[in-house]
Amino acid sequence: MKHRRFNLPGLAVFAALLLLWEVSSHSNPNLQSYFPPPSEVMSVLFRLAFARELLGHLVDTLERFLGGYLLAAAIAVSLGVCLGYFRLAHSFFDLLIELLRPMPSVAIIPVAILLLGIGDAMMIGVTVYACAWPILINTIDGVRSIDRTLIDTGRTFGLGRMRILREIALPAAAPYIMTGLRVSLPIALILVTTSEMVVGGSGLGYFILDEERSFRTKEMFAGIAVVALLGYALNRLFVALENRMLAWHRGITAKGTP
Amino acid sequence: MSWNRESKLNGALVLLAVMAAWELASRAEMLNPLFFPPVTKILKSFFALISSGEIPAQILSSVRRASSGYVLAAMVFIPLGILMGLFDGLRRALEIVIETARPIPPPVVVPVAMLFFGLGEGMKIFVIFFSSAWPILLNTIDGVRNIDRVLVQTARTFGLSQGRAIVKVILPAASPQIMTGLRVSLAITLILVVISEMVGSSDGIGYFILDAQRRLKVDRMYAGMLSLALLGYLLNQLFVIFTNYFLSWHRGMRRAE
Repeated sequence: MKHRRFNLPGLAVFAALLLLWEVSSHSNPNLQSYFPPPSEVMSVLFRLAFARELLGHLVDTLERFLGGYLLAAAIAVSLGVCLGYFRLAHSFFDLLIELLRPMPSVAIIPVAILLLGIGDAMMIGVTVYACAWPILINTIDGVRSIDRTLIDTGRTFGLGRMRILREIALPAAAPYIMTGLRVSLPIALILVTTSEMVVGGSGLGYFILDEERSFRTKEMFAGIAVVALLGYALNRLFVALENRMLAWHRGITAKGTP
Repeated sequence: MSWNRESKLNGALVLLAVMAAWELASRAEMLNPLFFPPVTKILKSFFALISSGEIPAQILSSVRRASSGYVLAAMVFIPLGILMGLFDGLRRALEIVIETARPIPPPVVVPVAMLFFGLGEGMKIFVIFFSSAWPILLNTIDGVRNIDRVLVQTARTFGLSQGRAIVKVILPAASPQIMTGLRVSLAITLILVVISEMVGSSDGIGYFILDAQRRLKVDRMYAGMLSLALLGYLLNQLFVIFTNYFLSWHRGMRRAE
């Protein structure tokens, strides 16, 4: 494990920037209305943190995020394992995937509004759609790059197709799958906040846009701080989970290298 | 080779089957034609919108925004990344600021940009600039840090100044990874241009699609999405061609090794 030194210059620059923001905001009332001093943003953040409102938006966003992300993972991993394992199935869907993939995923929002209305179902739907691509592509790649010997060995030992899929293909492709999952983590947050902005109602994306429209800039920045914290926390959580789940893989590859 | 051709054929067959099923189901009203108009109708409106110049005009304003923000980000963050990769002190000094700003989901920056720039071009360009910054910056730093020390030292030995060493040795050596960053950013750029046009704009392809949906002109909506997909595909192909051309020396070198 790499030991992280305490980064004093980094902290100093960060503090200096905050201080610059604080001072210039205090000295210029015009600037203050756009960029309220960080100290006031912080105090608003603490006030809002204990109010029902911001917490409710956070919970809504988190629910949509988890729903969309987990559903996308379940669908894309199982589909990806099948398409990676069965070449015939892959040949059927290859072109379809190549056609749909280059479209920026947010463009699906209008269709989703049409089909699913403007509730949670729509927001979760677009998140699933957008997150599924990186996971799907990486899973297919992962399964296809499995060492044939592994599968042949499994077959020699009399494992059936399903057991080979579950016990050999899935673990062997796990590092790739994890890459796909990591790529789609920020994408999920992008899609949830965007759809909240477009259809409104609730959630952090809506909260931030609404505060901006009512020119409550302190609240807006407080909301952005919460989203940033959420993104940061989710990323840390993911890395911790990944290290835990792929520890065996690191062990193997470390032993493999001279 | 024959497998490959067969595979292409299979794919085309499935695609045709899906389109035929859509067409029939829509005409038979098994699918609600209000939401899923027949494929032929979508294609007809797609070609009509192309030839009338309506879609090309929208695409053009989107591309103009996207390229301004993207090129600006590349111009600022590739040099910054090179400096941060070369000078450890600078990298550590800016590390915390970057790590604080990076987890902010880019769409959330849209309101801030709207506050500051209004609904004009500046807002969209800023949002694209902000969101495409991170992959470019982080990949450039990594690329520069991973350069073989021998290369840099050789350059020194031959008496190259710091500036010339950057242009002649460091930039080319780091360019494969810089290209990776640029490609990741390209995809993000497209997403953000659509988002910013949906939230605050009165033109561009993102606005066009959302507007068509709100007025229930569903065939126009699908036509817009089709053209957006084509745009994404085209930009990606263009990038691949560009990279191959630009990095052909790199591939040749690796083959030689």
